[in-house]
Amino acid sequence: MLGQVIVNGLVTGLLLALPSLALTIVFGILKFPNFAVGSTLTFGAYGTWVANHLMGMPLIAAAVVGSLVTAGMAILSDKLIFERLRDSGSITLLVASLGLSLVLENICRFSFGNATRDFDIDIARPLRWHGLRINHEQMTTAITVIICVVVVQILLHASPLGRAMRATADNPALAAVRGIERNTISHITWALAAVLLTISGVLAGMDRAIDPLLGWSYQIPVFAAAILGGLGSPIGAVVGALVIGVAEELSTLVLPTNDRQIVSFAVILVLLLVRTQGLFGARAVRK
Amino acid sequence: MNSDAPIPALSIRDLRAGYPGGGDIVRGITLDQAPESILAVIGPNGSGKSSFVKTLAGLLRTREGSIDVTGKRVSDLSPARRVMSGLAYVPQEANVFRSLTIKENLKLATEFLRGRTGVGSTQEAQVMALFPELGQRHKALAGNLSGGQRQMLAFACALLANPEVLLLDEPTAGLSPKFVGETMEAVVRVRESGVTVLLVEQNVAAAMRIADEVMVLVAGAKRLLTRPSDISNFDLADLFFGKVQ
Repeated sequence: MLGQVIVNGLVTGLLLALPSLALTIVFGILKFPNFAVGSTLTFGAYGTWVANHLMGMPLIAAAVVGSLVTAGMAILSDKLIFERLRDSGSITLLVASLGLSLVLENICRFSFGNATRDFDIDIARPLRWHGLRINHEQMTTAITVIICVVVVQILLHASPLGRAMRATADNPALAAVRGIERNTISHITWALAAVLLTISGVLAGMDRAIDPLLGWSYQIPVFAAAILGGLGSPIGAVVGALVIGVAEELSTLVLPTNDRQIVSFAVILVLLLVRTQGLFGARAVRK
Repeated sequence: MNSDAPIPALSIRDLRAGYPGGGDIVRGITLDQAPESILAVIGPNGSGKSSFVKTLAGLLRTREGSIDVTGKRVSDLSPARRVMSGLAYVPQEANVFRSLTIKENLKLATEFLRGRTGVGSTQEAQVMALFPELGQRHKALAGNLSGGQRQMLAFACALLANPEVLLLDEPTAGLSPKFVGETMEAVVRVRESGVTVLLVEQNVAAAMRIADEVMVLVAGAKRLLTRPSDISNFDLADLFFGKVQ
């Protein structure tokens, strides 16, 4: 029983890891908490559903199409909204992201209605291993998220683009006078976050169903995970997501399942009181 | 201007700039700087020296006037494009990426300058010869370096862009007397390597020793442009606080 709960918790945590990573990358580089993570995840899931269900593409190809569409939407949002507000302070950008979130959610609602939607994928029997039950969606989630986290780490730490993104996060003015165009890095950051959120939306849509509030149900745990890991720390976001995922699943042993988000609220509350920089955020705070 | 005269490395015409919503901080500065010279910009605190050099680098928007580097207009370009046009800038503080290693800082100095003439391994070898100690600590985080070492790293990064004009904003600020001397020697070596240097400096005595020309900036405007040897004819306090016109 406990083993199954921990396995479920790790998979839930992995599902939270990519949105947390997207949130923390945008925060680290563009310096504001992007409240549109949930609605972008929903937008990406619908984009993929259109390509998969309506256009008949296999799910992986549909996810590529969904990622491209969502990345395009994110770059357009940056150009039309966030680029103009860049020097207005993080509170203004936060409010703008709340507005974007409402717009995206309602685009999905007006386009596809409130009914739940499913991807066209085969249903397979779950695997059983040492008494643990692991379904195919959980394995897909685990493998996909681990690949994505490794790719993002390589991108950030072993590529010129990643160095430029970290340099811009460290000191945007200095990055500009080293020949790095801030707007280009900003667009790439939005696009990267959009791709990670679309993949999360697809994984979430496989785990449950797609509806206009799909992303909202992940919003609080995603923020809790990113804050726990230390906003601005990519590794911290992943570790924070795993901790939140396992803690939420463990809480179902003593709490009603629907109340498990209490764990996320409690984590945010405790961190605000005792360790605002999170687990890995010391360097980010020093910067 | 005489048509046979060399093109100034840096040519500024009636430059005006300020922060959004505020008045002009840089007020109508005009000057020509000869190639391979050091121009020291001095003035009292709050006279607009740093704002002036930030305007040249593109970090503060030009409201009026023009900036040319070796005859090419740069005042309409983004900070990144100005680097491509031969203008490098070393800020007063936060002049290295503290969370990146020395090696990463050096790599970033040229990675996004593809197509800039002279940027490459030869230039890199020449620059690293000027700052040999950097090569020995490639894996160290730049944030763990001393103030003087960070200044050397910042110089090296700026020079790797093979600039025609190097803008230095108070490179000796906060340094011990030993490092002030080393920094000024480094500035002279940079000039000897063919780079024109515009040096904003609070340490007037140190700046005078190496400068070819000195500009006194007061309230954002040019009060005096002369040779260091001639500035002894003036009382600095009078220059800074307004008795000399």
